[in-house]
Amino acid sequence: MTGELVRMERINKFYGRVQALKDVTFTVRENEIVGLLGDNGAGKSTLIKILSGAVAATSGDIYFKGQKVTIRDTTDAIRLGIETIYQDSALVPHLSIARNLFLGREPIKGAPFLGNMDQEKMNEVARQLLKQVGITKDIPPTTPISSLSGGERQAVAIARALYFRSDLIILDEPTNNLGVEETQGVLRFVRNARDSGHSCIFIAHNIYHVFQVVDRIVVLRRGKVVADDIDPKKTTIEEVEKIITGLAEQPVA
Amino acid sequence: MRSTPLIQRLFPGTASETRTGSASALQRLISRPEFGPFVLLVIEIVVFTLLSPAFLSPGNISNSLTFTSELGMIALAMTLLMTSGEFDLSVGSVFGFAPIVMWTLYNTGTTSLEVGFVVALLISLVIGYANGIFVTRLKIPSFLVTLGMLLVVRGTALYITSGFPQRTWRAESPLIDVIVGDFNIGSYRIYMSLLWFILFAVIFGYILTRSKAGNWIQASGGNPSAALARGVRVMRTKMALFMLSSLMAAYAGITSSIRVSAANPNSGDGYELEVIAMVVIGGTALSGGRGTIIGTVLGVLILRMMRNGIVLIGVPGLAYNIFIGAIILGMMALHSWLERRHHVGV
Repeated sequence: MTGELVRMERINKFYGRVQALKDVTFTVRENEIVGLLGDNGAGKSTLIKILSGAVAATSGDIYFKGQKVTIRDTTDAIRLGIETIYQDSALVPHLSIARNLFLGREPIKGAPFLGNMDQEKMNEVARQLLKQVGITKDIPPTTPISSLSGGERQAVAIARALYFRSDLIILDEPTNNLGVEETQGVLRFVRNARDSGHSCIFIAHNIYHVFQVVDRIVVLRRGKVVADDIDPKKTTIEEVEKIITGLAEQPVA
Repeated sequence: MRSTPLIQRLFPGTASETRTGSASALQRLISRPEFGPFVLLVIEIVVFTLLSPAFLSPGNISNSLTFTSELGMIALAMTLLMTSGEFDLSVGSVFGFAPIVMWTLYNTGTTSLEVGFVVALLISLVIGYANGIFVTRLKIPSFLVTLGMLLVVRGTALYITSGFPQRTWRAESPLIDVIVGDFNIGSYRIYMSLLWFILFAVIFGYILTRSKAGNWIQASGGNPSAALARGVRVMRTKMALFMLSSLMAAYAGITSSIRVSAANPNSGDGYELEVIAMVVIGGTALSGGRGTIIGTVLGVLILRMMRNGIVLIGVPGLAYNIFIGAIILGMMALHSWLERRHHVGV
C-alpha cells in the first residue's frame, strides 16, 4: 500500500443551520483514483469544494503529503498541487490550447520586461501533452478552446494538470453531457494521468463510468461517509447502489 | 440533441469538423474577425472613388488621416480595455480636459509647456486609476463608473475655463513638433501624429497578440474566474488598462488642441461612442475576451472615411449618423453570423 496524499479529517460544514458534512474523514492515497459517490445533496460537491478552496470548512483539518495545510482559495489549492477540473469552467474560450495551458505561467523569451511569450515552446509542449493524455487526432495547439468538443476540453484541462505536476486532480462530473466515445476518451485520460503518477478524485452521477476507472469507491450519504473502501473489482454495481440509497448499511465485500 | 458527426465516430474521444487547422488557407482568412471590416473598407474606398475622384487626392488623404490618428489612438487603448471585459465612457471628456490643464498651466505662466504636458498626462492617469478602483474594488459596472467620470471631468473642464477656449497659438516648443509637427512626402502632407498612431498600433498589437500581458488581458475578459484561479492578476490588469485608456485619450486631446490651435473645454464630446463603435466594427467583442488591433485600425478607417466620403459625394453631413448606425448594425449582424457559423457542431 502506498502512502496517503491527502487526508481530510473530521470535516464539518454548516450552511446556516443545515449541516452538509458531518465528521467526514476522507483520504486519497498516492497513485490512486478514488470514486466519490452519493445521491444529490449527499455532500460530494461540498467536500470537493473545501479541498479545492472554493468554500471553507466549518471545522476539521486537511493534511497534504503529511503536512497540515490551510486552503483559503483556489490559488492556494493550485499552489499545493490540487487541480480541480469542472466541465468547461477552467478554460478561456477564445484563447488557444497552448495559451490556456500556460495561462498565468507563460514562458518568456528575451528581455523579461518585453513579456514576449515563447510561443514556439508553448505550442511544442502543448502538442506533446495532448499526445500524452491520449488525444489521438492531430489538433493544432493554436486551436481556440471554443472550437473543441467537451471531451477535448477535459483533455486540455487534464493535460495542464499533468504538466504543472499537480499531484491531485479532482474531476467533478467530467463525463456530463458527453457522448459515448467522448466519455471513453475522458476515462482514458484519467487512467493515463494515474499511470504517470497522479492521484484523482472522480465524481460522476453515472455509476457505470465510475466503475470503469476507479481503484476505490467512497460513498457519502446525508453528509456522512457510509463506505470508504469499496473495491469495484469485488463489488457489483447493484450493491453499491444499495449503499448509496441506504438500502444496505454495510458494504458487502 | 445533435447527432454525432461521422468523423467523431471514426476518431473517438476527439474530433470536431469545423476546426481551423483542417480548413484551407482561404477559409482561415475568411473566418478571421478582421475579414468583414477589411472587405467593407475596400468597398467603401471603391464606391467613394467612383463617385468622387477627389476622394483619393493627396490633399484629401492627408486631411482625413490627420483626424483619424487622433481618434485612432483612443480606439487602440479602448481595444485592450474592451478585450479585458470593461469599457471607458470618460475618454471623450478626458480628451477635452487634458489640453485644458496643459494650456491653462502654460498660459497663466505657472509652468513651462513641457511640465504642463507631463502634469496633464499624470492627471489623466489619476482619472484612469480612479475608474479602475471603482470598477475592480467596489465592483461597480464600468458603464456606470465611467459615465459618472465623464460628467465629473467634463464639468471640471467647463468650470476651470468658465466655458471659454484656451489660447494655444503663442507657444514655441520642440515638444509641439514632436507631437504634431508636419512634413511633406511628395504631395502628401504628413503629421507626426500619424506616425505616433502607427507606432502605438504596432506596440498595442504586439502586447495583445504576442505578450504575456495580452494573454492576461484576453483571459480577464474571456473567463475571469478561471484566469484568477490560474494566478492571473485580473484586477491589476484592468487597472492598468483603465489608466492606459485615459492616458491615450489625454495624449490624443493634446495632439488635437495643438493641431487646431484651440483647447476647447467642450471638445471630444461624444467621442466615446464613436470610438467604441470603431472598436466593435473592427471585430472586438463588447462582452470581452476577444480583441483585434488590426480590426480596430480598419474600424477607425471605415468610420473616418465614411464621414469624409459622404461629404465629398454631396450627402448632407447631418446624415452621417444614419450611415454610421447602419454600418454598426450591419457589422454586428455579420460578426454574429460568422461566430455562429464558426461554431457549428461544437
